[in-house]
Amino acid sequence: MNPRPDSVAGLTEALRGDGYLADRGLATAAYVALSLDRPLLLEGEVGVGKTEIAKALARVLGRRLIRLQCYEGIDTHQALYEWDYARQLLQIRALSERDLADDSAVDALFGPAFLLERPLLDAVRAGDSAVLLVDEVDRADDEFEAFLLELLSDFAITIPEIGTVAAERPPLVVLTSNRTRELHDALKRRCLYSWVGYPDTERELAIVRARIPGVDERLARKVVAAVQRLRDLDLVKAPGVAETLDWVATLAAVGATGPEGFDAATIEDTIGAVVKDHDDLAVVRERVHELAAGGAPYVPRSG
Amino acid sequence: MSPAVAEQPAAGLTETLVGFGRELRSAGLPVGTGEVMTLCAAMDPLDPTDLLDLYWGGRATLVSRHDQIPVYHDVFLRYFLDAPGDAPDPARPFTPPQLREARSALQLPETERLGREREEERAPLGLVASDVGTLKHKAFAACSTEELAALRRIMRTVRLTPPRRRSRRTVPTRSGRRPDLRRTVREALRTHGDPAVLLWRERRLRPRPLVLILDVSGSMADYSRALLQFAHVTTRATQRVEVFCFGTRLTRITHELRHRRPDDALDRAARTVVDWEGGTRIGASLDTFVREHGRHGIGRGGLVVICSDGLDRGDPALLESALARLARLSHRIVWLNPHAGTGLAPSWAMAVAAPYIDAERSARDLAGLEEFARTLAALG
Repeated sequence: MNPRPDSVAGLTEALRGDGYLADRGLATAAYVALSLDRPLLLEGEVGVGKTEIAKALARVLGRRLIRLQCYEGIDTHQALYEWDYARQLLQIRALSERDLADDSAVDALFGPAFLLERPLLDAVRAGDSAVLLVDEVDRADDEFEAFLLELLSDFAITIPEIGTVAAERPPLVVLTSNRTRELHDALKRRCLYSWVGYPDTERELAIVRARIPGVDERLARKVVAAVQRLRDLDLVKAPGVAETLDWVATLAAVGATGPEGFDAATIEDTIGAVVKDHDDLAVVRERVHELAAGGAPYVPRSG
Repeated sequence: MSPAVAEQPAAGLTETLVGFGRELRSAGLPVGTGEVMTLCAAMDPLDPTDLLDLYWGGRATLVSRHDQIPVYHDVFLRYFLDAPGDAPDPARPFTPPQLREARSALQLPETERLGREREEERAPLGLVASDVGTLKHKAFAACSTEELAALRRIMRTVRLTPPRRRSRRTVPTRSGRRPDLRRTVREALRTHGDPAVLLWRERRLRPRPLVLILDVSGSMADYSRALLQFAHVTTRATQRVEVFCFGTRLTRITHELRHRRPDDALDRAARTVVDWEGGTRIGASLDTFVREHGRHGIGRGGLVVICSDGLDRGDPALLESALARLARLSHRIVWLNPHAGTGLAPSWAMAVAAPYIDAERSARDLAGLEEFARTLAALG
């Protein structure tokens, strides 16, 4: 485990060293979350690096990343722990055939040997040597959210057959949400909140440089300008930073490694890496020449 | 950190932060003592003499929703940066260069201004009480104030059962398709490890999300208040419901309708919807819904109820593309029309919408709404 950075600037610097460029707001929220042992809730558009920050924090802090991907219908057995029923059944059969089923053998049936740890139990056991990422918590249902709230307030799990497992110091918890629904107020109140927005041109350029080393500077500039322009169009699905990186990688794959490779025809061929909606494609195809030319001068969005 | 500030007792800072919390509260943010205590705690690892630390520390601890950001931003600038006059203020011990630097660093990105602009567009509009009747079959348009009040009381008894769908979550059942190993093993312990009975689990049924999109424009004004009342009943009957109003544009009023007595909720909703009795642009409003809310998952796999008479002044092509998108996104679309079954010729908007809607129901009177509520479950 690495020492904890002792200031916001220190954390920002450490993250930058890992290739993650956090803005002041995100770095402050993460630093406070670390200092106060509070969960950090990240909301924002798709593909702006909400999940990435948790991974980067784990690497920077030298902690193990434990990820719980939420989905509809996730329940405690999938998130917390489960008994290995198949093995239990076999064990019971074996015991009764050989007439060994005394009290201690039965007790052992519900002992650590038959317990399957799921991410949350794992995280509570690991305590502050882990970063727990609860990804896309908005996909889980209300019941699970209520359960999560309980867990996040005392970091203790009671397994009736074994006893209570508690974390001495809680892990750093990062929750992400794409806002497909509003989270419960109680859960939000428990967390520190940070909104992760689209980066501005310079920051996005820096991200491209950091994530794709050796990228041609002028090509990167063109791609970022084009993506920023796309976000200003009224698209159904605006491209995120992940799409920008995909696009640069796709361009490299088709052999466009310099700024001259970024022409209308190539854009047309590779636009699928960035624009992933049928109606949006129609809008964008009309503008490929504009995008190839470096995009129109940047006009701030107005209401 | 300037020495003068370093010597400042911590109590001074706490007072400043409490005052900041109070300002935010009066600006409408739900900032309680708990949040302010968190903020004070957060200032310990941070540097309270650094305005940016103050700003971001506060934003992480006091804001819990995206649309609160512009309000927080404004209050922060007002409270910390607009200190009156040259007199040294012990609560805000910042030098002019610090203030200047903070002011230039703290620019709210355009994307986060959206909430504020909408806020500004809101014009205060009182609720104009309208008429309804105690008679279930009297059209909403023809009722008096007293009758409306009576109707509201009746509406409170309307029970809604939205259609349901299979959830991914399972419940124990007597028979089914998935064996319940957990319970089977427990049972097997009684019989020395022989799994004598097989127990089962089955996927549970959950109500589908319900989205009400209410037309409150001029041609619908007589009906829209009754519809809002209906929306309020719906909000209380089922958890997963979203309510929107539209006229010339679309406004989300779910929050206004929740946590409130019906009359207060109606009053607030009326104030939120600026284009009350303005005009109708169904196509543009539905397009906004699909783009801004639909893609965030609201209404996905759900039942979308559009209440409108279909007297549209907008572009038919836009209405068609919006409805096509909405039809792909949602499970069923129901159109509640006050003129349904009255023998009036359908408007062109209704003709455009016809291929995309799954059912058309009457919203002329309470009997119509009750009929709709009763048949809701069958629409799934």
